[in-house]
Amino acid sequence: MNALMRSAAAVAVASGLSLTPAQAATEIQLFFPVPVQGKLANEMENLVARFNSEHPDIKVTPVYTGSYDETNLKTRAAIKAGQPPAAVIMSASFILEYVINGEVEPYDELIAAEGKTPAEFMDDFWPALHGNALIDGKVYGVPFHNSTPLLYYNVRLFEEAGLDPDNPPATWAEWIDAAQKLTRRNGDKVEQWGVMMPTTYDYLGWITSALNMSNGGQYYNQNYAGEVYYDTPTMLGALNLLHDMVFEYKVMPEGVNDANSVTSAFFAGQLGTMILSTGSLSFVRENMKEPYRVAFVPRNVRNAVPIGGASLMMPKGLSEEQKKAGFELVKWLTSPEISGHWSRFTGYFAPNRHAYDSDEMKAFLVEHPDAKVALDQLAHAGSWFATYNTVGVRKALEDEVQAVLSGKKDPAQALKDAQAAADALMRPYVEATALSYLN
Amino acid sequence: MTDTTLSGVHLADSARKSRIHETFGVALLLLAPSLVFLALFTYWPVVQVAWQSLTVESFGGATRTGLDNFQRLFADARFARAAQNNIVFAVGTVVPSIVLALAFAVGLQETTRLTSGLRTVFILPVMIPLVAASALFSFIFQPRFGLLDYYLGSLGFGTTNWIGNPDLALWSLMGLTVWKNAGYYMLFFLAGLQAIPDELYESARVEGAKAVQRFRRITLPLLRPTLAFVVVIALLQVLTNVDHIILLTGGGPSDSTNVLLYYIYQQAHENYDIGLAAAATVVTVAALLVISAVSLRTLEHGIHYEG
Repeated sequence: MNALMRSAAAVAVASGLSLTPAQAATEIQLFFPVPVQGKLANEMENLVARFNSEHPDIKVTPVYTGSYDETNLKTRAAIKAGQPPAAVIMSASFILEYVINGEVEPYDELIAAEGKTPAEFMDDFWPALHGNALIDGKVYGVPFHNSTPLLYYNVRLFEEAGLDPDNPPATWAEWIDAAQKLTRRNGDKVEQWGVMMPTTYDYLGWITSALNMSNGGQYYNQNYAGEVYYDTPTMLGALNLLHDMVFEYKVMPEGVNDANSVTSAFFAGQLGTMILSTGSLSFVRENMKEPYRVAFVPRNVRNAVPIGGASLMMPKGLSEEQKKAGFELVKWLTSPEISGHWSRFTGYFAPNRHAYDSDEMKAFLVEHPDAKVALDQLAHAGSWFATYNTVGVRKALEDEVQAVLSGKKDPAQALKDAQAAADALMRPYVEATALSYLN
Repeated sequence: MTDTTLSGVHLADSARKSRIHETFGVALLLLAPSLVFLALFTYWPVVQVAWQSLTVESFGGATRTGLDNFQRLFADARFARAAQNNIVFAVGTVVPSIVLALAFAVGLQETTRLTSGLRTVFILPVMIPLVAASALFSFIFQPRFGLLDYYLGSLGFGTTNWIGNPDLALWSLMGLTVWKNAGYYMLFFLAGLQAIPDELYESARVEGAKAVQRFRRITLPLLRPTLAFVVVIALLQVLTNVDHIILLTGGGPSDSTNVLLYYIYQQAHENYDIGLAAAATVVTVAALLVISAVSLRTLEHGIHYEG
């Protein structure tokens, strides 16, 4: 063997050796939206860096993909382009559409490889979250962070109005009564409102469904993607409540208000009660100067709220290695430790029940009783909008509720129109499924 | 003789022809890169959208060709609403912003320290990106605590829900658009005014023409080419800029601020109805072409060209 060949062989061995670990690392992407503030994006980068250092055989690239809606768009584009991310933090109400379109992989095989059944795997997560995670008995979404609507109230204003802050309104009747006492007028001008809630798109659909559920309703068919129940007595009752708050009792401002307007009024001490997400707990805690407390969303028939938030899902079109690496990441991100950390950082629930077993989390709940109330309400939570064309079907309701809040339509007519609009949007799916047994 | 002349003519003709061919070849070669990109990223998508608008998809992937998408589009009350909003929005923003721009330009025509300062003030909104301006106005429009309501409140006015009231929301967005665009159009008018010879004004003054007469008889007719240009870009701008609508109202409340471009987005990305989105795109682009052609022709019709 001459010198040249020997050195060539040495280079080959050396480069081979140095390349080995790099080749073994499976490269995957994580798409993540940030629904609230910028510092969440930084924290997600920190978490992924930690995951990568703890898992030398996997290299995750976190890709910030904007809002939930933008993440939905970008995920579809990535799937169409044949470059799907191994994990996406996707709004829990969008996952069903991926299932309908055959674009998402269930986690069942990966769960089975660990010797677990889907039911055993899901047992770690709060029961309220199962509805949006399990579709046709398969695990399509692993809950990552979740929220529900919550009633926030100003303690000082309660005391000034002669209300007992230890007994916040629990029923709609008590809510209206308290709101009337909390509303303060100066001539035509209202200086202090009894109730406010965000009524812009997305938020409004969520709050309306909370009121519908509190009235005993079930606003969509949880077993079939082509059916919603808008034109129903339970929904009419919910809309009547909103209508009466604005026009009968005049305890809530007319028209549409965004979350900023609602929180501005609350932080300024000019709002008695507001409905806002539990995901905003940290935000309210940081910005509210006066004492405030939280309570369940008031009920008419029963206590019930929809969940919100996001789950991890796995698009189709990945290699076996990528699937395994993606599942490794999903398990890590939803582990009790990381789940609890993220929950304390953001204000969202930890979907993993065992996150609340840690001493850190127990101490946190003692220190922040508002987080405890939010968690207790989870026992009364149910699943969130998931239909064919979710956004459009939800908007069909929201447009009509906005018309009611603006005094343009009466609740009964609004619901007839909402039902018709939603039915029209779902018709192609209904005709191809429920109304057709031939294919 | 005749033969030679003929062949001479023939020769010259063919030489000219080949020269034309040559220049055409060179032109084509030079334009080729742009043409390739135009074809790839403009004309091909246009063809695709046109084809897509004629493709009728049913759930499950079966497709056929037909006009169903257009039928559904014209039957959709939301499309009619978006088109109507768009017309109100276009007229209600283009007319006031051009009138304001013209007034500013004529008023600030002379360059003094004061006028150049004022010009800067009017051009400032142009430099703020529409997205940033929308974020700003989300605070300005806030009921009770926003800048607008705060100062109106100190003057004794009540609370106004500027973008949460379906009767008012579109007008609030129009106010924002006029604020944003008037300064931009003023720039064009200032440039147009520079081109009007001073002698015309001087002789008008000598003959005793008042300011209003000078404006109507000299400034306005001679600014007509600028006006034609500004009207067309203003129309295109209000139809293609929807950032503020997306950020401030999302088309709401109850679709009261929805416009064609956002309607197309909703059909494509919220309802996954690509056929309907494509049909709406075809109709919108056709309307834009007609508007541009008609407005350019009518405005150019009475233009006085000097020289």
